[in-house]
Amino acid sequence: MSRKYYRDVRRRNIARLLLTYFVPLLILIIYFNYQYDALVEEGRRLHLKSIAESQANTFDLFLTERLVNLGNLIDDPKFHVPPEPEMLAAYLEKLKRNSEAFVDIGYFDSTGIQTNYAGPFPALEERNYGSEEWFRQLKDEKKEFIITDIYLGFRQKPHFTIAVRRIISDQFVVLRATLDPEKIYEYITSLEGANEVYVSIVNSEGYYQVVTPHIGISLEASSIIPPRENRIGVEEIRLKGTSITYAYTWLKTADWALISQWSQATGEGLISGFKLQMILISLVVMLGLLVIIVFRTRKLVQMQIESDRAKAQLEHAAKLASVGELAAGIAHEINNPLAIISEEAGLMKDMMDPQFKLNPKLEEMTPHLDAIHEAVFRCCDITRKLLSFVRRTDVDPKPHDIHKVIDSVVDGFLGREMAVSNIVISKNYDASLPTVVTDTNQLQQVLVNILNNAVDSIAGPGKITISTSRQDEFLRIAIADTGKGMTPEQVDKIFLPFYTTKQVGKGTGLGLSVSYGIIKSLGGKIMVESAPGRGSTFILVLPFRH
Amino acid sequence: MPDKIKVLIVDDEVKFLDSIAQRLEMRGFDVTKAINGEEAVKWATARKFDLALLDLKMPGIDGKQVLEILKKEHKYLEVIILTGHGSLDSAVECTKLGAFSYLPKPYEIDKLLETLKEAYEARMRKKFELDGIRLQKIQQLATGNSALGILRALRELDNEEK
Repeated sequence: MSRKYYRDVRRRNIARLLLTYFVPLLILIIYFNYQYDALVEEGRRLHLKSIAESQANTFDLFLTERLVNLGNLIDDPKFHVPPEPEMLAAYLEKLKRNSEAFVDIGYFDSTGIQTNYAGPFPALEERNYGSEEWFRQLKDEKKEFIITDIYLGFRQKPHFTIAVRRIISDQFVVLRATLDPEKIYEYITSLEGANEVYVSIVNSEGYYQVVTPHIGISLEASSIIPPRENRIGVEEIRLKGTSITYAYTWLKTADWALISQWSQATGEGLISGFKLQMILISLVVMLGLLVIIVFRTRKLVQMQIESDRAKAQLEHAAKLASVGELAAGIAHEINNPLAIISEEAGLMKDMMDPQFKLNPKLEEMTPHLDAIHEAVFRCCDITRKLLSFVRRTDVDPKPHDIHKVIDSVVDGFLGREMAVSNIVISKNYDASLPTVVTDTNQLQQVLVNILNNAVDSIAGPGKITISTSRQDEFLRIAIADTGKGMTPEQVDKIFLPFYTTKQVGKGTGLGLSVSYGIIKSLGGKIMVESAPGRGSTFILVLPFRH
Repeated sequence: MPDKIKVLIVDDEVKFLDSIAQRLEMRGFDVTKAINGEEAVKWATARKFDLALLDLKMPGIDGKQVLEILKKEHKYLEVIILTGHGSLDSAVECTKLGAFSYLPKPYEIDKLLETLKEAYEARMRKKFELDGIRLQKIQQLATGNSALGILRALRELDNEEK
């Protein structure tokens, strides 16, 4: 076997082992990775949700407090209508002490005119807000309080309004304060968990109210519009090809939703750290496996090489042994032409010997020289056939006509031996058989062994019938002899090494056991049918392609 | 001039048969050639031979059968086996069947001539011995020296041999 063959065997083995070990390992790694990701993701979602919820609650509380601040003022027993400017200024001071977010305060009469105002925009005094949405809602829908969306308003600066209304002395009055969204933003970003997330607040139409500059600008449309079905929830949306997870909580005080989404850096570092560890451990395990597999395979292939070498040596020895068994026949084949050479040479010598007084002409020698020449080539032919049989050759995977292979043995090796032994060969070939791709050299050896035994068994006039046929997807060769046959006990032992029925020194008992091994290695079967006095039939069943 | 020694040579190799026949003829033998067993058997019944050179492995009737037939047909004939199968077993077997000697092919002509000479001497010796025994028997059987007594003895001997 060539080096390339063993390299292939090694590679195939390594690949196979890697596959058997790595594939389950990889599947496990991927599965656990997926499970871990899902778990982490679930944890993160819950965390995000709790951040959103707690922030929303805090913010709700904040807004409620601001409403309460305003309500406290209007419910002040000292409050009377219309309030004087000093009183309003004092109220503003009081509100600002409650929260920095308060910007100004105004008093509206029932028609919606801001009759009194305290704050940085005195120009707003005497303005009529009667047609403003928030005022109409307070007046017509009889709402106790209102928190407006952020708007620019008359002052052209983003702000939002909280207002409470009362009926004082049968008069509809409204006290309103505006809040600075920037202060609100500062407040939100100071809440717990704010460093992990981007927080934004959108109104029911999906416009940003308060938003971190990383993701948007106030009053612009938000790409995220949380569903209304649940007050609290976690959702996933795809934005510009990336998946974004966000948690939302609808506020109780205003028609706003607080949205939290992870700021980029948060969480990622933690996961990749863990994953890195996992990947590293997996790599170390795989490397270990690889080293073991490569090492073991090398060792196995080395053992295979040694075993093949031993097998090849044994086969060669067996081949030589079967040649040894052929030797008697071969001796006849070679000795006969040698005798011709000897006689012809002797005759020519005699012809030239003066004692016989023949005085031959040179041309009289020609037929004798021709006979010598012919005899030499007969010997040569025999030795060449023997050599080609004994010489170890690698498998030649070419299609062969099985009948030619059989004939080369029957006619080439044993033809004359059979003729002089008065054995008739009957060929019963199936001409429609396809070609065979197999190690014909080894097959020839098997045929030589079987035919040798048949000739020995017949020992005198007899007949050997060789039949070929197709048996399903297999080639069937049957070799039947008219020899003395075997008892069932002999049939049982026939393929055992060193079992022989021949006389000591005549047979090695290796031929058929080696044949058995050869046929098995060619992917076939060898069987024998025999009964004493009724001859033996050896049956070879071989695949057409090995 | 004494009678030539009559030799039958049986071999299926024509070239071998021709050249050995020629060489023996040159050396004064009376040679008859047989190319196979059947021909040999035919000659064996048709002619008398002193010696035979016989190949063993032949198609058809093989050497052993020819040997048996020759030994049966010719009382004093000595057979020398010439064969390429140089195995001890077949030599022993042929000796048992009455072959005089066994020469493996190829051989030296001198060795063959020597063997032929020994075989011929053995044949003559046997013939003389048998003739002597016969003579003794005739003397024992003959009553007196009358011609009639000898004739009667000869007839009795013939009956005995049959």
